[in-house]
Amino acid sequence: MDLNNLTIKSFHKSFINKDFSILEITKSFLSSIKEKDKKIGAYLSLMEESALSQAEKVDVDLAKGGELGILSGVPLAIKDNILIDGFPATAASKILENYIAVYDATVIKKLKKSGVIFLGKTNMDEFAMGSSTENSAFKITKNPFDLERVPGGSSGGSVAAVAAEIALAALGSDTGGSIRQPAGFCGMVGLKPTYGAVSRYGLIAMGSSLDQIGPITKTVEDAAILFKEISGKDNFDSTSINFEYKEELLNPKLENIKKLKIGIPKEYFSGGLDKNVSLAIEEAIKILKSLKIEFKEINLPHTKYALSCYYIIMPAEVSSNLARFDGIRYGQNLNFKNQNLNLKDIYFKQRGGGFGPEVKRRIALGTFVLSSGYYDAYYAKAQKVRKLIKEDFDKAFSPLGGGVDVILAPVSPTTAFKIGEKTDDPLKMYLSDIFTIPANLAGLPAISIPVKNYQKIGKELPVGFQLIGKPFHEADILGIGQYYDKIKK
Amino acid sequence: MAINKKTLEYLAELSRIDLDNKNEEKDLKDIQEILNYFEELKEVDTENITDISIQNLKNIFREDDSETSLRNLDMKKREKLINQFIEKEKGFLKIPPVFE
Repeated sequence: MDLNNLTIKSFHKSFINKDFSILEITKSFLSSIKEKDKKIGAYLSLMEESALSQAEKVDVDLAKGGELGILSGVPLAIKDNILIDGFPATAASKILENYIAVYDATVIKKLKKSGVIFLGKTNMDEFAMGSSTENSAFKITKNPFDLERVPGGSSGGSVAAVAAEIALAALGSDTGGSIRQPAGFCGMVGLKPTYGAVSRYGLIAMGSSLDQIGPITKTVEDAAILFKEISGKDNFDSTSINFEYKEELLNPKLENIKKLKIGIPKEYFSGGLDKNVSLAIEEAIKILKSLKIEFKEINLPHTKYALSCYYIIMPAEVSSNLARFDGIRYGQNLNFKNQNLNLKDIYFKQRGGGFGPEVKRRIALGTFVLSSGYYDAYYAKAQKVRKLIKEDFDKAFSPLGGGVDVILAPVSPTTAFKIGEKTDDPLKMYLSDIFTIPANLAGLPAISIPVKNYQKIGKELPVGFQLIGKPFHEADILGIGQYYDKIKK
Repeated sequence: MAINKKTLEYLAELSRIDLDNKNEEKDLKDIQEILNYFEELKEVDTENITDISIQNLKNIFREDDSETSLRNLDMKKREKLINQFIEKEKGFLKIPPVFE
């Protein structure tokens, strides 16, 4: 069975045609993981047994004539900060090395109902903090397009798994670009939904006002399918919102897509972009113009400040979210009694040894910007600037302002960088998120789409472009993307 | 804003983290560089912004009958959770005394 170039859509068709059984295909994926993942390092743990029994169940359902949905039997990889009952969820951190989840995240519960097969949990930057997956406490994940390069991050394992064809699609989480940036680096599609569109229940929290779970897929159509399945209001996440996505999400009409106006924010193109990135983005714009979509130049004047703003607000949220990891209920296996440790010693030891350098840095930074005497100068100031960044977008989308429906931007200033290239310089690493952060700060949906069909031979590194939409207008960016997919080279 | 060794140690104390002493200088330099980068925010005029909440958030209330509390977990799950405890006794979490 050839696993290459399968999409959710084509998989479903072949399955219904009985070209393969789900058990067969699941076995193929699992053996392909064993063969390829030694080189790629996408997975942290496999769910072999449960995958095979889930697969059998789907086959039995089909034999019984049961109604099967579009995701029935689809083999997925799940980022290791999303909880699946009975399986590890380490968030690639030593402090959670021995933790086994005892409940399902809401997205997992939904996907189980849809009959998907979970292949395993994927590598990531520890607690999703990083842009290269090099901050994992356990392993380095490699970019399938060039094994000397990073896959991006923090959802690097999920993206690499899909790109290496050892998962049909995957879930990641995106706090400042952690789905879109690696998708861009590996020639995949990555969607960060509107804040509140997808429940965060069962996602190990990083920045609660920024985090969203989203799909990583080979095509925009697949991203739409997976997004529709995981979205919706959830009583366990009071920031989730009840929004009815219409049929348009999956089947956009070209006549409606042509009516959309795309804004080009000049702040995203004013220097700092690698030549090959800007050339690729120009190509994407040319292709979109051939659809007769109208383009317009717009201004987002506070873009420049988004990075500072984000690297104050996110660590502040990190410092409080990660306070829960006290190393008492689970953690590194320290023998408390024999070492005669008091409670405070345990905290220091567990957190000191359990967290990696980047996590510690962000906790320190977050504690600092929230501490008395600095709160106003850093945290409060950043929240105010966040408001201005959001207002920039509001104006661009307003008929009285820019009047655009969608904004096109680069995903990252460069293509995938070399492993180890930025690990010594945190600020340099942070700068790789510069174009993806604003959508998180403003809570907007944004998608990363590969400019063309990249081939893994030839070593041309993928470039993605980003479409940012109005809140809960995923249909706009997914719609344009679906038509882009049809005509791209 | 210049940050020194003492501040870093204070932050580590506040956040209950053992710092790796041999990396202290590099840590300090990295954090300093990041704080320097933040200086650019000073040039943004935010005088007219008084409310710092980003979205129009409303409190959402519900009855206090948590569906996921430990008490309502089935025994098997409860056991799974307790088994993960580093130290336990008779199904309870065991920790050193809080007050000494």
